[in-house]
Amino acid sequence: MRLEIRYLNEFNYREPAWESHNLLRACPANDDHQRLIAYQVDVTPTTRVHSYTDYWGTRVDEFGIVEPHRDLRIMAESTVETATAQVPPGDATVDALATVRAELSSFLRPSPHAIWNEPIEEAARVAVGGAVDVVDVATAVSDMVTSTLDYVPGATYVGVDVADVMSQGKGVCQDFAHLGIAMYRSIGIPARYVSGYLYATEQTTAVAPDEPELSVQTHAWLEVFVPGYGWWGLDPTNAQPVGELHVKIGHGRDYQDVMPLRGVYHGGADHQLGVQVRISRERLTQMAEQ
Amino acid sequence: MGSFDEVHGPDGVRAHYQALMNRLAEIGDAELADRLGLLDSFFRTLGITFAVTGHEGGLERTWPMDLVPRIIPPDEWSHIESGLVQRVTVLNRFLDDLYVGGQQAINDGVIPRWLVESADGYVREAHGIPAPRGSRCVVAGIDIVRDDEGTYRVLEDNLRVPSGISYVLENRVAMTRILPVGFASHVIRPVDHYGASLLRALRAIAPPSVDDPTVVVLTPGVANSAYFEHAFLARQMGIELVEGRDLLVDDRHVFMRTTKGLKRVDVIYRRVNDEFLDPVVFRQDSLLGVPGLHGAARAGTVTIANAIGNGAVDDKGVYPYIPALIEYYLGEEPILPNVTTYLPWEPDQLEVILGRLDQLVVKPVAEAGGYGIVIGSAADEATLAATADALHSNPRGYIAQEIVQLSTHPTFVDGHLEPRHVDLRPFVLSGDRIEVVPGGLTRVAMRKGSLIVNSSQGGGSKDTWVLGNGGGHAVTPR
Repeated sequence: MRLEIRYLNEFNYREPAWESHNLLRACPANDDHQRLIAYQVDVTPTTRVHSYTDYWGTRVDEFGIVEPHRDLRIMAESTVETATAQVPPGDATVDALATVRAELSSFLRPSPHAIWNEPIEEAARVAVGGAVDVVDVATAVSDMVTSTLDYVPGATYVGVDVADVMSQGKGVCQDFAHLGIAMYRSIGIPARYVSGYLYATEQTTAVAPDEPELSVQTHAWLEVFVPGYGWWGLDPTNAQPVGELHVKIGHGRDYQDVMPLRGVYHGGADHQLGVQVRISRERLTQMAEQ
Repeated sequence: MGSFDEVHGPDGVRAHYQALMNRLAEIGDAELADRLGLLDSFFRTLGITFAVTGHEGGLERTWPMDLVPRIIPPDEWSHIESGLVQRVTVLNRFLDDLYVGGQQAINDGVIPRWLVESADGYVREAHGIPAPRGSRCVVAGIDIVRDDEGTYRVLEDNLRVPSGISYVLENRVAMTRILPVGFASHVIRPVDHYGASLLRALRAIAPPSVDDPTVVVLTPGVANSAYFEHAFLARQMGIELVEGRDLLVDDRHVFMRTTKGLKRVDVIYRRVNDEFLDPVVFRQDSLLGVPGLHGAARAGTVTIANAIGNGAVDDKGVYPYIPALIEYYLGEEPILPNVTTYLPWEPDQLEVILGRLDQLVVKPVAEAGGYGIVIGSAADEATLAATADALHSNPRGYIAQEIVQLSTHPTFVDGHLEPRHVDLRPFVLSGDRIEVVPGGLTRVAMRKGSLIVNSSQGGGSKDTWVLGNGGGHAVTPR
């Protein structure tokens, strides 16, 4: 599916802000699952934007504004072609993970947003039961996350302990992803956090929307490692494998490694107008007519 | 198990100590006690103190220096020096390989990937940051001990923001005042050029396009326990001492705010830890750093010394692999051996450790300053049991080593000379070449029998004399 995405983040400051420094991770990845066709960043006030690829392979757009300013507008537009969901062939057992664990240890150790406790590990084991096939195990754990948490916007804050999320039984997409990652790692399955966009009217029901253009939020899901296949995307917030509605920006050990926008500035109190993401299905027919 | 004594050998006082010991005997204990009092007031007047961490509210003590210097003869020093040059060459090579060089040593199986990636000091954001001349450990403090046979061994590498050099320089100044007579009879290699050597190294690692680099010292501020040293080094080098708020980044270039406006900065000798350097990338609550500094370093418009991420290699879990890395990069045997170390994450070695827990020393991999160390022979049953549990539940968090009976050195305690255990922290500079400051900081465990020399744990220090080989020159008492 060919999608056009416009990420817009606007700030309005009551007092002037200055010496603002920002890192933006909003560019869709270019990988086996999706193809990046175009990407462009626009910042107002005008400043030079420098780009680099970080350790995890995510494009980072770096920019600063030294002069005092009252408004900051960050827009990132992209065009991407996504592929439909894949299910890895079910022939890899959890035993086969033994050979890759040393290589993938970063995705097996606790990370700041994915530190598990006994109840988390126990829930993962209950979910798995007697399953030994990695795809079955991964699906069972993802389903466990989906049934453990209610999706409640604003229920948590960034940086909440995943153990607290588990006991409260509610959260947003980041919490679903972090709890899933913690469960997988607790039973020795390499798992990583994915930041991206979802082309759906509800984050909890990823079905292709009727509307050609939608206003959405940034989204988060996870990937588990399947021997002989590679990283496989699962979205516990809406209980399905990652498909053509998902646009991946990048991955990391958790949210910290792939935050959409990080920044600091001096000066007055900030009033964030908020992040708006608009996604539209590209009208191929129109293009054909041109 | 006996200790090697630096002064007294099987045939009496060692040759290189005879003149000194004779002098001390002539002076007599009563007079030495008077001079010790002078020494304390000397440091107090200069305001040379240090903070003992781990105490609520902080505890400041006057710098404790012993009256009796440690002497290293020329042949021993040249052995130590060549061993340090070899080791630091490899530490720089490995760090460069890790962060910009494609991780050849890991790919070739010299050291396990998971081990490096699980080091607390491994900084993924340091990937791609260039280090001119590959000099990532611009200032390295390598802790050396001497075992019961007198063999010099490396105990640990300090590659982040090692401190203590100011004490080396001040100890020397104090010594020339307190014991001038000692200097008359020895040719001692000077240390007072340290500031010039450090500045030379820092200038040598400026971004290649810069002809006449501006170098600054970046300090966390007066609240830091080593602030005295930061100010001292800036003064020694004749350069600006700045805090994070004195710097700003504009379009990936670093500037210093001066009374005449902004001035470009090319090299930053930082004494701020990695995690506080840049709130945009690292800890967002850090007020000590400079927003955008990471981006400037990545762009290569400024050089940060020591480089970001050196903690990956001075992790105690990585230490056991340094000899293999020396072999790998240089095809040489290590000149200075490690202390025999056991790895709890290797199941067979864990068994060895647990079987001999009361004979080994167990150290947390990420702690510094002597904290968290359990010396098996001195620990009670409860401590040993707790240590065994810790090794089981977090094997990557510890290493175990044979207990090294550190060498002893006569030390002036309670009005007379008594043997006390010592180690040595030489300072090694990497710029356009590798330079070892003659001697270093000799730390001494002031408590009888104690093997813990860290100043934060009540240790003292000694002026350390490397004798000239005829090539050195005498220091004139001031």
